Amino acid sequence: MLTETLALTVRELKKWIRTPASVFIALFQPLVWIALFGSAFNPTNLIPSSIATPEVMAQIRQSILGQTFGNAPNYITYLTGGILSLLLLFTSAFSGGSLVLDRRFGYLNKLLASPISRASIFLSRVFATVVKGMIPSLIVFFAALSIPDGLKLNPSFTLLDGLLIFLTLFLLSLGFSSLFTAIAMRMTKWESLVAVVNLLNLPLLFSSSALLPVTSMPDWLQAIAKINPISKAADATRTLIVQGSVDLSIIMLNLTYLIAFAAILTIAGGIASIIALRTE
Amino acid sequence: MTRVIEVENLTKIYKGNIKAVDDISFDVNEGALFGFLGPNGAGKTTTIKLLTTLASITSGKATVLGHDVSKQPNMVRKSIGIVPQDLTIDNELKGNENIMLAAKLYHVPNHVAKKRVEDLLELVGLTDAANRLVSTYSGGMRKRLELIVGLVHEPKVLFMDEPTLGLDVNTRKIIWDYIRELNKEKRVTIFMTTHYLEEADALCDVAAIIDRGKIRAQGSPQELKEIIGGEVITIELTKERDLQDFFSSIKGVKEVKKLGSTYGIKLGMAEDAIPAIIDGIYARGVKIKALSCSKPSLDQVFLEVTGKEFREEESAEAASRRQDIIARRG
Repeated sequence: MLTETLALTVRELKKWIRTPASVFIALFQPLVWIALFGSAFNPTNLIPSSIATPEVMAQIRQSILGQTFGNAPNYITYLTGGILSLLLLFTSAFSGGSLVLDRRFGYLNKLLASPISRASIFLSRVFATVVKGMIPSLIVFFAALSIPDGLKLNPSFTLLDGLLIFLTLFLLSLGFSSLFTAIAMRMTKWESLVAVVNLLNLPLLFSSSALLPVTSMPDWLQAIAKINPISKAADATRTLIVQGSVDLSIIMLNLTYLIAFAAILTIAGGIASIIALRTE
Repeated sequence: MTRVIEVENLTKIYKGNIKAVDDISFDVNEGALFGFLGPNGAGKTTTIKLLTTLASITSGKATVLGHDVSKQPNMVRKSIGIVPQDLTIDNELKGNENIMLAAKLYHVPNHVAKKRVEDLLELVGLTDAANRLVSTYSGGMRKRLELIVGLVHEPKVLFMDEPTLGLDVNTRKIIWDYIRELNKEKRVTIFMTTHYLEEADALCDVAAIIDRGKIRAQGSPQELKEIIGGEVITIELTKERDLQDFFSSIKGVKEVKKLGSTYGIKLGMAEDAIPAIIDGIYARGVKIKALSCSKPSLDQVFLEVTGKEFREEESAEAASRRQDIIARRG
């Protein structure tokens, strides 16, 4: 199973690298999001500046960041964890895309007529998508750091914190890629896939703490946002960025949640796929 | 002779009660080039899907190299190669990458695969194009690549679904040559479907005519043609003369018709009998004004066994059957 999964994953990645437009968009889009959301929608700029002197305004902004945004030095710093989570959600959403095309062009039949493990068809798409998401997320992370007045890491931030951030994002991506690959397993049309992705993506995003803190939401939405895996990933990432050299116990709950999320969806998605690929 | 494929009373009914394959039985011997001939929607692709484990069998039994298709699908998969009807080569990979990927999926060790890939590329004349993306290939090149991708694990049987569909006449002839070469030199048993009568005639040792899910006739193209009574020699003599008894006495002659000075002689193999006929006519002091020989085509055979023209427009029923089957293929 490993040889086959690896061979098929490499196929996906080769095809990805050979389509520069898709690589470019995967990198460019989240950067635009950071720039746009971080600047245009910066909630601390929403208070009318005429109500107080500039010194008082600065204080008000600082206290908003302190209270609402968990002591982030600026909104972009708060936002980065959210945008990284969102980037992985969006790349995962189309993890089943190549399956739909393979089914359409008859390639899937050729795979099914070969003595490969059915799970490798599922796992190869999932792993390839995780790679396709993780590479841009690394680049976005460093890009956010280099923007003027951009992402500011806590001075005590260590390499371990960095690794934990990417472990968090990896788990999120693994879970969502499994979910979306399994959904696409029996689809014959791109249109159906796009419809499902559109149906799920934005609600998943807005019912999470990716862009705004949970406390600013009504109670019913808070209830959803608190169990949304995107919130868990965004919060954990954010805690690591803002506080640095974190005591592992603070994010342990989030990490455990994400490990369970990834494990359950990978296993369930794999089983669902094997059933979906059975001969009629 | 070993039987490579054995099919007994095979039936496939798709959801919605569409009978795509209706109680067919046949055997394919080792080393044969077996053709499944029939119009669109006859059940050819479904039969291939059943034999290659891509569709489940409703009733009946099929074995490939002794492995039961429904009980030991993985054993079957390991020992067969497939050239599907659709072009399933990955356009965004290079020629050699496509084959190496297949080699990995079939667990062919790397050093063995490399040598085989070189040989196979050489065989179909793609050595120079191997390092190019398949998206730059012509239709014929893709089909050639498709042929060898299914062979990298050295299967004993190769299933080909409409191998020359959509290719121009020249390219088709080239593909035919490659298919013959694979069959004879690599000793691969080939099961192929086609809706080109001339293709079955030119290539196959044995052909089965399938129509509306049923096998209507099978045998070598020669045997099939004999169904309609063999070949016809038409001889026009310079003057009228009664040679009825002489013609009837020649070996293989089935029927002699006389119309004035013209005779129509129906027999198995015209070429074999012509010298004896000519000698006999001259020995009797008669001269020949004209001689022609007509061989029955598989078109005529098809008409004979199915009661309809092969090339007639697809009937509404056949068209809707086909649509249903395609929809189910997904």
